[in-house]
Amino acid sequence: MGLIARRVEEGGIPTISVSSARDVTELVKPPRSVFVNFPLGHTTGKPFDRELQMKIIKDAFDALKSIKTPGTIIDLPYQWEESDDSWEREAEQQAGG
Amino acid sequence: MSPVKYVELTRALFSAQGFPPYEWTVNETAPFTPFDKNLEECRVALLSTGGVYIKGKQPPFDPDKNDLTFREIPKDIDVTKLAISHNNYDRTDAEKDVNCVFPIERFRELEAEGYIGQLAPVAYTIMGRIFRRTALQNEMAPEILRRLKEGGVDVFFLVPV
Repeated sequence: MGLIARRVEEGGIPTISVSSARDVTELVKPPRSVFVNFPLGHTTGKPFDRELQMKIIKDAFDALKSIKTPGTIIDLPYQWEESDDSWEREAEQQAGG
Repeated sequence: MSPVKYVELTRALFSAQGFPPYEWTVNETAPFTPFDKNLEECRVALLSTGGVYIKGKQPPFDPDKNDLTFREIPKDIDVTKLAISHNNYDRTDAEKDVNCVFPIERFRELEAEGYIGQLAPVAYTIMGRIFRRTALQNEMAPEILRRLKEGGVDVFFLVPV
């Protein structure tokens, strides 16, 4: 994925990527990224939440305009649940098992 | 809590299946093409790695890994005709609203409101989990680039899943 962004950017077309796996993005380094800390399968937001989906996409376009340093990742402020991070623990247990 | 450590998890998963630990690509630098146009005048193309395809019209992806094919989805697609073939994420929500992983309806709205100049006539979908890095770099990525250039695309918007 990051590799496709890199190849297209090398070919002269600016790219912006939305990531939900920050560590992978750090290693592969697409030219420009925003990070959304949501469970996999929700990169551009929650189902039927048009407003949230639109915010994430417009934040990504803002990053396209503002990022000047190749490989920059901008962390977006959205939280999956207000005060509960149990999805992250569950994801680590499932994938690790 | 800090973000989920997918790199370590993938390494562990490969080991558990009897493969050598997966060696992720590590890049110290990134290529860069400055963005110096007005978005309102740009043609934007969308790509998702969520494994989305058109039911009955396109072949599903290999839902496990290493599918090096891609699908072109017309921008005016009726989203109820889309299906997902991908076994590595919880598809429950994306199957209810594909915009969670392939926000084609949002992009149509952005085009309609003039936020972007134009949405490219086709969007691209692939299935993530491609571990055949060389084939990806030498075959699929250049072919997608060729089509984007041919289509006069100014900005490429990527949604990995």
